[in-house]
Amino acid sequence: MFPRCLMLMAINPLEYLIDPHKRIYWVFLLSSVLIAAVFLWINPKKRKVNLSKKLWLHPSALLDYGYFIFISIFKVLVIFPILIGAKEVALWVNEFLLTQYGFTRITGFSYPQVMILFTLSLFILSDFSRYWLHRLLHTVPWLWAFHKTHHSAKVLTPLTFYRVHPVESLLFGLRYSLIIGLVSGVFIYGFGAMIGIVDILGVNALAFVFSLVGSNLRHSHIDISFGVFERFLISPKQHQIHHSKHHINVNFGGFLAIWDWAFRSLVLSKSVNKLKFGIQQNEMKYFNRFHQLIFSPFYLLYRNRTK
Amino acid sequence: MKKIIITSIALFSLYVNAVDKTFFEQVIIHNVEQSIASAKRISNSIEQGNSKKSQALFTQLVIDWKKVEATYVLGDLDEDFLDTPRYIDIFHGNNEDIKSQLNLIIGTTDDLSYALYKHSHKTINALEYLLFTQDLSNNRVRAMALIMTKSMQKYLTEIKTAYQKYQFKFTKDEQFASAILLNRLVSNTYALKEWRIGNVVGLSKKHKGDADARRGEYVLSQNSATAILSILQAHKQAIDSSEYRDFGDVARKFGAAKEIDKTIGYLNQAIAQVQKIEDKDLVGAKGKALYQASNNLMKSYYLSLMNKLSFVSKVLDADGD
Repeated sequence: MFPRCLMLMAINPLEYLIDPHKRIYWVFLLSSVLIAAVFLWINPKKRKVNLSKKLWLHPSALLDYGYFIFISIFKVLVIFPILIGAKEVALWVNEFLLTQYGFTRITGFSYPQVMILFTLSLFILSDFSRYWLHRLLHTVPWLWAFHKTHHSAKVLTPLTFYRVHPVESLLFGLRYSLIIGLVSGVFIYGFGAMIGIVDILGVNALAFVFSLVGSNLRHSHIDISFGVFERFLISPKQHQIHHSKHHINVNFGGFLAIWDWAFRSLVLSKSVNKLKFGIQQNEMKYFNRFHQLIFSPFYLLYRNRTK
Repeated sequence: MKKIIITSIALFSLYVNAVDKTFFEQVIIHNVEQSIASAKRISNSIEQGNSKKSQALFTQLVIDWKKVEATYVLGDLDEDFLDTPRYIDIFHGNNEDIKSQLNLIIGTTDDLSYALYKHSHKTINALEYLLFTQDLSNNRVRAMALIMTKSMQKYLTEIKTAYQKYQFKFTKDEQFASAILLNRLVSNTYALKEWRIGNVVGLSKKHKGDADARRGEYVLSQNSATAILSILQAHKQAIDSSEYRDFGDVARKFGAAKEIDKTIGYLNQAIAQVQKIEDKDLVGAKGKALYQASNNLMKSYYLSLMNKLSFVSKVLDADGD
């Protein structure tokens, strides 16, 4: 259960700027701006688009800004209170293992080794589950109806990350609780209190580093690619390809590209030149206004059922 | 924002406010010293051939040794000391029938320094057998009991020396110190719940529905409940003292105040229950209630541990992309 006092504290969307666990934490925004500045200095032709009012004040961008305020409040008031917590899942997993296999302690690992192992496991399994949930959001028709809200953005800004339907938020919250709870429960069973996370400002160090090196550029028009490393790490350009209406079912990865590579959904930056963001024209009209982002998925699902 | 600040302070505090030198001296070292003194006292009494006094002193030895065992973290500080408790105590860690082996030794004239060659022959469990089933006026029995008490003294002294050697290692890395102490408390609670209570009352996985008082830790001397009480009192020393900074204070610092207060509550409940119990009660309703209390205690230790991990604050936004 999300404590009421924390609810009230977290209800302010501006908190997102000063919380290192958020994608738009000011340090991550600043690092993205710096990377973008270098990129635009090297590629002067791209300055016009990226610095234009047309982009930043585009109706789709304005919709993102407003929706961000709504969803950040909605999550605190509605989604968090009904979500099962990672702590509960971890306790359940630990208790299940204790009941099934009795008490045990894995020895032979040093404290730092266990911490590194735990940090890596959390990061990798979390990223893997993100890949699959994201892929399912595209391939299961009723899930795609909700995920369209995110893909309906015609221009990309860092706040497009938060243009997510509440149903999708709920699913990602569940994914988080189940995976983090499962990994933690297993580690607690094996190592007890000897586990900890290698962190930076309380954030998984790996997630922090990946966020620092421009994860905000994924939802932007700064099309940086990682060259040969794109089989391992998702570049901003690769995610922009994912938002392109002609390549929407590729590059589902979060931080790592290896899942796309392994499950044949990887597209490298060099193979795509023109990008046009959004969804099919006949559906765009259902996602132009604030209330449509929330209600259109239900309407479209209903309409498709009755067809 | 406040949430972040609280979490940051809590995480920082974990590094600067863990169990400290005073805790180490007043609990860890102090308990070992008490056991050494107990072992010496019983040794003197055995030397005098005083059966009754030795039996009474055995209870004190159990009380003191169980406290050392409950918070034994030396194996985590130096691997060479992982097995030392087994040289003092073989409850649930040894399937040998030491009683028949000891009977055989009593019945021969073999040199005792050779005859008592196994570690298990020199443990507190072996001593209990001699003191409560044999006659101390028998020279051979007395000599055997003395070898046992001297062996315990030796190992306890080694433990004390090693603890003193590793005191700096323990207090230097406070996060590590909290982790090994909490792990010890959790594993000790499991042993308490499953072996010392569950196996007797018939609630453990292994002996479900099959209560048997003979599975108690100190059946011969009727000190099983005393041992349980001593273990719980050692937990009290570790998590609820007003005299030094203990693990309870550390838990509060990393934001698990509610959880640790609950843990202390369960611990106090268990202590109150066991204070009213005699060994014969362990197989009945009182034993079942004690099992439940110790189970609650273990669960709440795990809850405190979860808070140490601050789940909510460890990943970036849970949303997708």
